[in-house]
Amino acid sequence: MPKLDLNNFKQEAQKFRSNLDAIPSSLMVCHCTTCLAAGAQKVHQALELELEKRNLQNKVRVKTTGVTAFCAMGPVVIAQPSGTFYGRTRPQDAPELIEHVAEGKELERLLFKDKDGKTIARQEDIPFVAKQKPVVLRNRSVLDPTDINDAIAHGAYEAIFNLLKKETDGEAIIDIIHRSGIRGRGGGGFPAGLKWKSARKAAKERLEPVFVVCNADEGDPGAYMDRSIVEADPHSLIEGMMIGALAVGATEGFVYIRREYPLALERLSNALDQARKKGLLGKSILGSDFSFDIKIHRGAGAFVCGESTALFASMEGKAGEPRAKYVHSVEFGFRDKPTVLNNVETWANIAQIINNGPEWFASMGTGDVSKSPWSGSSGTKVFSLVGNVEYTGLVEVPMGMTLRQIVFDVGGGVEGGRKLKAVQTGGPSGGCLPESKLDLHVDFDTLQEAGSMMGSGGLIVMDERTCMVDVAKYFVDFLMGESCGKCTPCREGLSCLHEILHRITEGKGKPDDLVLLEDLGAMLKDGALCGLGQTAANPVLSTLRYFRDEYDAHIEQGRCPAGVCKALIKYTIEPDKCTGCRLCVKPCPTDCISGEKDKPHTIDHGKCIQCGTCMDACPEDAIRVE
Amino acid sequence: MIKVTIDDKRLEVEPGTTIMAAAEKAGIFIPRLCSHELLEPYGACRVCSVEIEQNGRTKVVTSCNYPIRSELTVRTNSERATKTRSMVLEMMLARWPKVKVVKDMAAHEGITQARFSHPLVDNNENACILCGRCVNICRNGVRQNVLSFEGRGSSRQVSMPYQQVPAECVGCGACEWICPTGAIKMIDDPNGSADWDRIRRAGMVVTRELILFDDDQCQMRRKGTSNLVDVMNDYDLLPVHNYRFGSHPDAKFVQSEVFASKFVTNGLPDGCALGCDMACAHAADDFELQTGPDKGKRVIVDGPEYETVGGSTNMGIFDPRWILEMNYYCDNYGIDTISFCTLMAFVMECYENGILDKEKTGGLELNFGAKDAAMEVLHQMARGEGFGLVAGQGIRRMKKKFAEEYGADPKFLQDIGMEAKGLEYSEYVTKESLAQQGGYGIALKGAQHDEAWLIFMDMVNKQIPSFEDKAEALHYFPMWRTWFGLNGLCKLPWNDIEPEDNAQEKEPHKVPKHTQAYCDFFAGVTGREVSADDLITMSERVYNFQRIFNLKMGFGTREHDAIPYRSVGPVTEEEYLSRQDRYDEQLKELEGDSVAGMSTAEKLQMLRKHREDRYAKLLDAVYLRRGWTSNGIPRIETAKKLGIDKVDGLVELLKEHGAH
Ligand SMILES: Cc1cc2nc3c(=O)[nH]c(=O)nc-3n(C[C@H](O)[C@H](O)[C@H](O)COP(=O)(O)O)c2cc1C
Repeated sequence: MPKLDLNNFKQEAQKFRSNLDAIPSSLMVCHCTTCLAAGAQKVHQALELELEKRNLQNKVRVKTTGVTAFCAMGPVVIAQPSGTFYGRTRPQDAPELIEHVAEGKELERLLFKDKDGKTIARQEDIPFVAKQKPVVLRNRSVLDPTDINDAIAHGAYEAIFNLLKKETDGEAIIDIIHRSGIRGRGGGGFPAGLKWKSARKAAKERLEPVFVVCNADEGDPGAYMDRSIVEADPHSLIEGMMIGALAVGATEGFVYIRREYPLALERLSNALDQARKKGLLGKSILGSDFSFDIKIHRGAGAFVCGESTALFASMEGKAGEPRAKYVHSVEFGFRDKPTVLNNVETWANIAQIINNGPEWFASMGTGDVSKSPWSGSSGTKVFSLVGNVEYTGLVEVPMGMTLRQIVFDVGGGVEGGRKLKAVQTGGPSGGCLPESKLDLHVDFDTLQEAGSMMGSGGLIVMDERTCMVDVAKYFVDFLMGESCGKCTPCREGLSCLHEILHRITEGKGKPDDLVLLEDLGAMLKDGALCGLGQTAANPVLSTLRYFRDEYDAHIEQGRCPAGVCKALIKYTIEPDKCTGCRLCVKPCPTDCISGEKDKPHTIDHGKCIQCGTCMDACPEDAIRVE
Repeated sequence: MIKVTIDDKRLEVEPGTTIMAAAEKAGIFIPRLCSHELLEPYGACRVCSVEIEQNGRTKVVTSCNYPIRSELTVRTNSERATKTRSMVLEMMLARWPKVKVVKDMAAHEGITQARFSHPLVDNNENACILCGRCVNICRNGVRQNVLSFEGRGSSRQVSMPYQQVPAECVGCGACEWICPTGAIKMIDDPNGSADWDRIRRAGMVVTRELILFDDDQCQMRRKGTSNLVDVMNDYDLLPVHNYRFGSHPDAKFVQSEVFASKFVTNGLPDGCALGCDMACAHAADDFELQTGPDKGKRVIVDGPEYETVGGSTNMGIFDPRWILEMNYYCDNYGIDTISFCTLMAFVMECYENGILDKEKTGGLELNFGAKDAAMEVLHQMARGEGFGLVAGQGIRRMKKKFAEEYGADPKFLQDIGMEAKGLEYSEYVTKESLAQQGGYGIALKGAQHDEAWLIFMDMVNKQIPSFEDKAEALHYFPMWRTWFGLNGLCKLPWNDIEPEDNAQEKEPHKVPKHTQAYCDFFAGVTGREVSADDLITMSERVYNFQRIFNLKMGFGTREHDAIPYRSVGPVTEEEYLSRQDRYDEQLKELEGDSVAGMSTAEKLQMLRKHREDRYAKLLDAVYLRRGWTSNGIPRIETAKKLGIDKVDGLVELLKEHGAH
């Protein structure tokens, strides 16, 4: 593998492209964590075997890809260049698939069918995908993340090549980033251009080294945007960091990534190795006088370690606890040196901004960022859309789409056609917005004003069967487990919130409890040391703000309107619906259902633990919650 | 200066001042729990929260660690501030209702009873309130990292590794001392000592000062002894080219900051003495060796100490990497860096003077600054090969060999061969400090400064002008420093850190407060009350006995306290001319204007006579003060007074040598 340099880069990239084009079609097997768990590896092997058996290697190629648009349908195989989507594939489908693709035909029976049973062949035409605007995820289903040549053929490292070739000055790069208006995707929404500028300035003034760091900790439960980007397109991250390093004058970079992401880790270290061998990392990159390399730092998987100062402490080998940010971490970050910390998704956007220009980026999203990045939210955002929604998965949409569009147009609406109650955004310390806020345009500032936040892009749809007090309790419990315990407000405050919320859901709430919840919330917001504690009361405060009546029902009437809180509900059997089939009797863990065969049964409420198993088992819909 | 308004008071503060410090200045008290004078602000308890307003925006911040950088309004009692503080304290009170400091602080905010019960309520009066003071003083103050927090969130607690007392805990008691609730109790294992608590309190005196003042004093904790390189160069005391000169422009390449910032990157003490909170010994990490058997390896180098750097400038070598490499190999070969450097400086001067040549060195060109060749000599010394076999004998034997075999002038060799009693000099230029010349010359084990380091007292601060003053210093300090050796203690914490008011003491150079701490320490260990004078007497006994031992071995007389003239004054005209103004001035003071017309050679001679004279007078004065004869032998009366006369044959030995 010859090293690339500023003279041969273009020809080599062209060569990789011609190699790709030499074989007319490819079958891209999705090797994301989800698809692999569903058996993608076996499908891949079967396809390769079949290809060899039929000696069709010059017509079809079987390739790995990192993520597709619709992993809920895994294992997914996409035929390229047509973009035909095959979901839920099995190894035994291999012969037919190969045969069809080799002949340029579609295999009808594996194609996607929508709610109405309509067949949709191309991935891009599936409604879930059609409304999206992939920038960061643009290479999903086309790129093999394990092969740097494939990445280069698809345009990787072109941005850094051009910057080095033209000997672009660091300040000019920062200016481009600044004008694009891009704000951090990790939750804080701080303008990347401003951050880079401060780091460059601090390093220059103090004559100190500066570091660039990628935050791939991703500790929010249910979020996997960053993991997917690393798995699917590691080179976009590497190139972004190279550009950042060139801009601020760094020679060392780090990726902080949790150990629970073995596949992402493997893809990333493999990509780094390949980039080094190509002369894209290390001393004299592409033969220029720019030197830079990236090390991986494996985190042990604590939510708080995603917070910048805790992350640096963890990288320094100390306990992952935050410190006050009155002294900015961009000036005194890793090892007390100027440090640029950006999120995976932020980094992954950078090369695109260089390639397509800041105006292109700023044209997507909300507000006018030409004067200041603070006056809008430009670009796209990746969300993990989960919960009671028809289609779940990663979605990348332009900033400013409304929640309603995301839930209904992209996500296909609430699961089972039920009524929507709330949308939770922003991860565990985000907030719950009611149906009446559904027309909000999703961007950094709007969500904040409404009492929630963008966070790193979690989006949970909740239907009418959700108890909002229970939701608040769930998030508070999560945060209580993740609080490092350093500062009093977060450590004690979450314990107290936990205690009070549990009390309310058990029907033991007191009228003063809501005042206490609000006092505790205000104290956390103002008093906690880091972002975790400062936002930890959001789930409570936002549900109090929009769903106060549910709290009141729990406290004043001892009732859980959604029928979720066990201590407040009672399962009964409607005698006129019960056929006495006894299907509920066996699964009941406490043996509390009795009755004669073929006659209506009854529940012994002394023994019932409200687990709901009977309800799931009943074929007649005869079990009621009160 | 920056203008701040705190409540209704206006004041100006230095940039970077914390709100808490500013409020203190304004006479406004802000409640606090985790903050402490000895600790970096930790910002964990949040009890010191206040509201600030800046550019029309308000927020709540902790006053202990918020640095004032621009104009600011602080409200300690705004609604938001008090709400935050009182809610924090209410939760603490709910959890620890019986802990006095919590009750007091809560009462200060008007809270005497929590509105709710805490799931983790703890009714212990001495409960740990997780303020982290103990952890922080152990980590950053004592720098032992014995204590830490374990567990997350509500299961956080202070602990030690595996919940056991580790070997690293020396029981210094700083944690117990700083704990605001009495949650920590020392479980003493006094190892037979009389009053462990008294020992700990004596230790805290120095611990406190190190934490508060070391950064402004010697920076022993950050830089260690190498901090001296910069100072010595500034005062013309850093040996250069075999002690010919006392400073060099290139010394900037090897000054302490270079090592501290570029090479000692792990920031950890090297653990020279467990529990020492000065922890001045550092190690350069991840250092790649360029020569020798370990070439290419990345190693940790313990050092460099001042002498190792000063020894290198003495050879005219100003390369930090070379110094670390030499340091590493000396350590691993078992060679003392000082002896190596000083003898190599001698070899280099001999080479430059033609006493040695390539033939005699086995092809090595050993001019000043010849770093590759010098490194090769080090490897040869270890292998017992080539010129290494010659150099490795030390200066005293080289002088003999060079005179006898190479026909060199023995007088010149005596002048420039920097050894006394066979031991190579350590790395200070003593020409302008008569007292220190004595310090080197009279020292029992040869030319080292371990017994007396009087240069600053003598030359810079001029605290000991007369012969009697110098003699007193050359009595007191060697005895005092011997005392450390007798007790197995390091002496750096005695005067490489000083109390804040030391300058106001009558005898600041003795650091009286620390002397008292050592008395307490001694009493705490032995149960015997002692005064500062008692400590000196203890040493005197041993010191005199050692001198007599030297005598028995054929060394302990005046003739052995002679020193090479290089340590007294300029040997060569070049040396004289390099500091001509200084020497001319001195001669003028002594001899009047007649010196004006003299040649350099004549002046050199005259200065030499004067200085050698002075040294002889100094010996007389010191011997007298110590109760010795003019030949430097303890008088029988002295031995009697010290109670060492009972030793078999001791009095006879003294008599034999003419003592009375
Ligand atoms: C408790 C907490 C957890 C966080 N977790 C993450 C995370 O997992 N990933 C991330 O990129 N940022 C996380 N952040 C935000 C980071 O502190 C930081 O703002 C971000 O990495 C900066 O990059 P950006 O400007 O590109 O978003 C977290 C913040 C807090 C307070």
